[in-house]
Amino acid sequence: MKQIVLLLMATLASALTARAADPIRVSSFSTILTEIAEQVGGDRVAVTAHVKAGVDPHEFEPTPGDLKTVGEAQLILLSAKHMEGYVGKLKESTGTKGALVEVGDGFASLKMKSEADPDRVIEDPHWWHSISNMEKAVKIVRDELAKISPADKDAFADRAAKYLATLDGLEKWVKLELARLPRDKRQLVTSHDAFQYFAKENGFTIYPIEGISSADQPSSKKVGDIIATIKKLGVKAIFPESIENPKVLTEITRESGAKVGGELYADGLGAPDSDAATYVGMYKHNVSTIVNGLQ
Amino acid sequence: MRGSPLLRAAIAFFVLLALGFPLWRLTHAAEAPPAKMQVAPAAMAKAIHLQLDFTLPPKKIQALHLGKVVWREDAPAAEIERDLQLVYPDQGVDLQFHIEWPEDAPLAAMRAKLTDPAGDTHEKSLWGKGVVDDVLTFP
Repeated sequence: MKQIVLLLMATLASALTARAADPIRVSSFSTILTEIAEQVGGDRVAVTAHVKAGVDPHEFEPTPGDLKTVGEAQLILLSAKHMEGYVGKLKESTGTKGALVEVGDGFASLKMKSEADPDRVIEDPHWWHSISNMEKAVKIVRDELAKISPADKDAFADRAAKYLATLDGLEKWVKLELARLPRDKRQLVTSHDAFQYFAKENGFTIYPIEGISSADQPSSKKVGDIIATIKKLGVKAIFPESIENPKVLTEITRESGAKVGGELYADGLGAPDSDAATYVGMYKHNVSTIVNGLQ
Repeated sequence: MRGSPLLRAAIAFFVLLALGFPLWRLTHAAEAPPAKMQVAPAAMAKAIHLQLDFTLPPKKIQALHLGKVVWREDAPAAEIERDLQLVYPDQGVDLQFHIEWPEDAPLAAMRAKLTDPAGDTHEKSLWGKGVVDDVLTFP
């Protein structure tokens, strides 16, 4: 009997050791989701960031190495809202048994006209520029991790609660910071149409130079229209993005008299050594840049 | 063509000079200066009326507009009101409130009733404990 008890204890100890040694394998296709998974999962997750800081997610295509990792992942996180055009191939080619979660599909989309085909209405995929959406994404990831490892449910809940409190603090900071900017000056001219969620939450009107994708190129008529709008509204600054080539913006600033207000992070987090390396850092960078540029 | 080679050389020089000058002007045109920004006419301050009701009177209240204090009261009553002059665009305004409720007091609330320059009234609330900094957007 004593031997059986010892055997059971050894088995239990072994299982616990294995559990602690084997974090949940997460594949993330968004710098934002990578941060959420790491914040909520802590040392219970091993996150592979397929889309790294500074990489344009509109242009990203997974490599064979990415597909191999995805095939072994227990949780695959995607931005969704058609950001990842390769999602079908990802499912088919990896045959993954992991949970493939299209996080952005968990909340409402803003709709907008496609630049390439104005008759077509598309979803704006840049949902993380809404802090409210970000909070929903945190809860989705928390619940998915808990499904994979129910024993860690409370730990995930605690870590998610702390991160949500951080986001709550960010939301308050944003309100106070934006209160410095008159509502009639909240016109945002950016490289591509990535800030509609931000605009809706904070009373801005967006004048994108490109379309929804950074691959779209503006027509000369559109550039002319934007110059006319900037002059008419007296917009003081326009904002290129971290990933974009600001050539067209240079032409617009010369013709309109507006200055370049600074770079905004539209498509994800900044490099690890930048002030936009975290979600809070990225959001504060964008808001400060906008307020200082338009004041 | 007859004549002195010196004269012909001089004529050729002046012809080239005459043709070259416009060409030089075209190729060395001064770069157009950047367009001047159209400066919107300075916005005029307009009269608004602000009424604040507290579930618990705070020790201190400040209302700020665009980072500047526009109204400050120490130990206000449970209901206070004031006429203010603010730049009030069609899009509305953000008013920031700094409120200091007693440290040991329970959760308290402030109701702000703003009558805009057009005479329309908008009501917003905020809740808090201790020192609170928050923004209310009107309308």
